[in-house]
Amino acid sequence: MMAGNDRTSLEVLDFTARDAAAAPAVKHYGEALVEAARRDPRIVCLTADLTLPTETDLFRDTFPERFHQVGIAEANMVGIAGGLARCGEIPFVHSFCVFATRRCYDQIAMQVAYPRANVKIVGVIPGLTTLLGVSHQAIDDLALMRALPNMTVIEPCGQGDVRAAVAAAAAHEGPVYLRLKRADGSDEPAPATSDFRIGKMQVLRRGADGLLVACGMMVAIALRAAETLAREGISLTVVDMSTVKPLDPELVALARTVPLVVAAENHSIIGGLGSAVAELLLEEGVDVAFRRVGVGDTFAEGGSTGYLFEKYGLSERAIIDTIKSLRQRRRR
Amino acid sequence: MHDRASGDRQPAPRTTDVEELARIARSLRRDVINLVAPTGQGYVQQGLGAADLFAILYFSELRLDPLDPEWPDRDRFLLSTAHNTAIFYATLAARGLVDREALHSYCGDGSPFEINASERVGTVIEATLGSLGQGLSVGIGMALAARRRRSPARTYVLLGDGELQEGQLWEAALFAGSARLSNLCLIVDDNQMQVEGHIDQVVTVAPIDAKFAAFGWSVETVDGHDISALLAGLERARGRERPTCLVARTLAGKGVPSLEGLLAHNLKLPSPVAAKALSELSQIAGEGPR
Repeated sequence: MMAGNDRTSLEVLDFTARDAAAAPAVKHYGEALVEAARRDPRIVCLTADLTLPTETDLFRDTFPERFHQVGIAEANMVGIAGGLARCGEIPFVHSFCVFATRRCYDQIAMQVAYPRANVKIVGVIPGLTTLLGVSHQAIDDLALMRALPNMTVIEPCGQGDVRAAVAAAAAHEGPVYLRLKRADGSDEPAPATSDFRIGKMQVLRRGADGLLVACGMMVAIALRAAETLAREGISLTVVDMSTVKPLDPELVALARTVPLVVAAENHSIIGGLGSAVAELLLEEGVDVAFRRVGVGDTFAEGGSTGYLFEKYGLSERAIIDTIKSLRQRRRR
Repeated sequence: MHDRASGDRQPAPRTTDVEELARIARSLRRDVINLVAPTGQGYVQQGLGAADLFAILYFSELRLDPLDPEWPDRDRFLLSTAHNTAIFYATLAARGLVDREALHSYCGDGSPFEINASERVGTVIEATLGSLGQGLSVGIGMALAARRRRSPARTYVLLGDGELQEGQLWEAALFAGSARLSNLCLIVDDNQMQVEGHIDQVVTVAPIDAKFAAFGWSVETVDGHDISALLAGLERARGRERPTCLVARTLAGKGVPSLEGLLAHNLKLPSPVAAKALSELSQIAGEGPR
C-alpha cells in the first residue's frame, strides 16, 4: 500500500499478462537489438509511444542519439523510417503487431517494401495474446506482410532464436517483419546457441505418421501435441518454420515422406503460415492430407492467452483432434 | 570522380537573378506543354502553376551536383504530389539531372518516366511518393539522418494544398515541429485545386498558415509566382531554428492566359490547345509567335 504521497512503490502494467509467480522477464529482444546496434552504427530505433512494451528502453538508454520517439503515429513512423533508410541508416520500428502492420500498410508498401528499404518492422503481441481486446489482436499481420513483394517475414520462438533472428534481420539487406512474443518470464529454458537462419526450417523431432509445421508460440504447443500422440503410438515430425516468407522449399521433400501435414499458427488460417504451406505443397504436387490449425475466419476478443488459445483452437487438443481426424479420413 | 570538397558544390543560392529565373520558368512551361501534348496524359495546370517554384528550387536553392547525383551531402527534394511530373521531369532535364532525349519516352509503355514519378528514373527521384500524404514523413527521416551525421544537407518537400486532407501529413507536421527540424522546408503548392474542383467545395484546409504555426512551424505565405519573394522566403528558412512552411499561392495554368485559373485536375491537350498555349507563352516572353 502507498503511504501518503509516496508513489515510488507503485507498479505500472506494461500490457503483458504475466503469471504473478513467474520470474522477472529477461528482455531477450531488447538486449539483442542493443548488441546488434553495438556492432552496426547504422542501426537506429523508432517507437510509437511503446518503448517499454517493445523492450526498446534498453536501446534508448544505451544509444539516446539513435533513438526516435515519434509518438502515437505509426504511419508517420514508417515514412520516417523510409527516409532514414534512404540516407543509409537501418531503422528498427516498433509497435504492437497490429499497429506495426495493418495500421500503416500503404506506408510499408510504398516506403519500405517497394524500394527494398533496409527497414526492420518489429511487432510484439502476436495473435491472441492480449487482454486488451480485438483492437490489439494481430490475426492478419502475417498475411499482410507476406503479400508484400520484397518482404521477409519471420516469427521466431525461444530466446536463442529470437536473439539470432535479430542479428540475422540486422545483417539482412532489405525489409524484414519480425513478429515477436514478448518475454514474459514464463519462457522455458532454451539453449544459448541457435540454428536459426532466415529461410531455413528447423526439424525439432522426426516421425513417419505426419508432419506438424508451426511458427512462433505454436511451436511449443505442437511439440506437446507430438509428445502426447507419441504415447499413443502416433509419431510425428515437428518443424519450426520461423521464416514464413520466403518459405523453405525443403519442406516439400519432408512432406513427401508422410501421409498428412498440419500447419499451426497463432494467426488467422487465411493467408499466414498454413496458406503458405498449402500453396507450396499443392503447387509441387505433393499428395498429402492437409489441415490448418489457427484462428478461424473470425475476430476474437480480449482475454487471457490460455483462455483464448483454448477457445479459438490454438491448443494441443485442437492439434491432436485435427491429426486424428485426418487419419480417420485417410482410412475411409 | 570529383576533386571538389563536399560543401563547395553549389552553395545556395546558386543564382538570385530574378530575370534569369523567370526566363527559365517560361521555358519550363513550354516544356510542360510539349511533354503532355503528344499523349494528352499528364498534369498541365498543376505544372504551369508550379513552374516558378521548380525553377527556383532547382536553379537557385537546391545544392545538387548533376555530375554526382548520389553526393551524400546533397539537398533532398521530395515531390509528395508525385503526379505533377510534367514540370518535374522538364526541370530535371533542364538542370541536367535526367537525359532530355530519354524524356521522349514519357508515359510510354516500359518508360521509367511514369506519370507518377518513381525511383525507376534514378536517384533524382529521392523516394517513390504519390500515395498522397507520405512525402513529409519521408522528408523527416532524411532530415533526422542529416542532423545525426551533422550534414549541411537540407530537405525540401513540395506538396499540394489538397494533400493536406491526408491525416498522415498532420502526424508528420506535429513531429517536425516538436523535433524543431530546422533543416526541413515544406512548400505548399496552394493552387486551391483537387480532383473534384475547388478545394473549398471538397474539404476546406484554410487557414494553412495558422495550422502549421500551431504545430510549431515557422510559416510564411508568399505569392507562388513572385520570384523575389520566394527567394527571400527560402533564404529566411535556411536561418531558422524551426522547420519552415512556405505557403505558395499559385494559379493553375499560370503563364498561359487562356488556361489561367481553369481548375482542371486532368486537362487534356489536343494539338490546337497546345499550339495556342505555346503561342501565348511565346508572346508573353516577347519572342513573337513561333
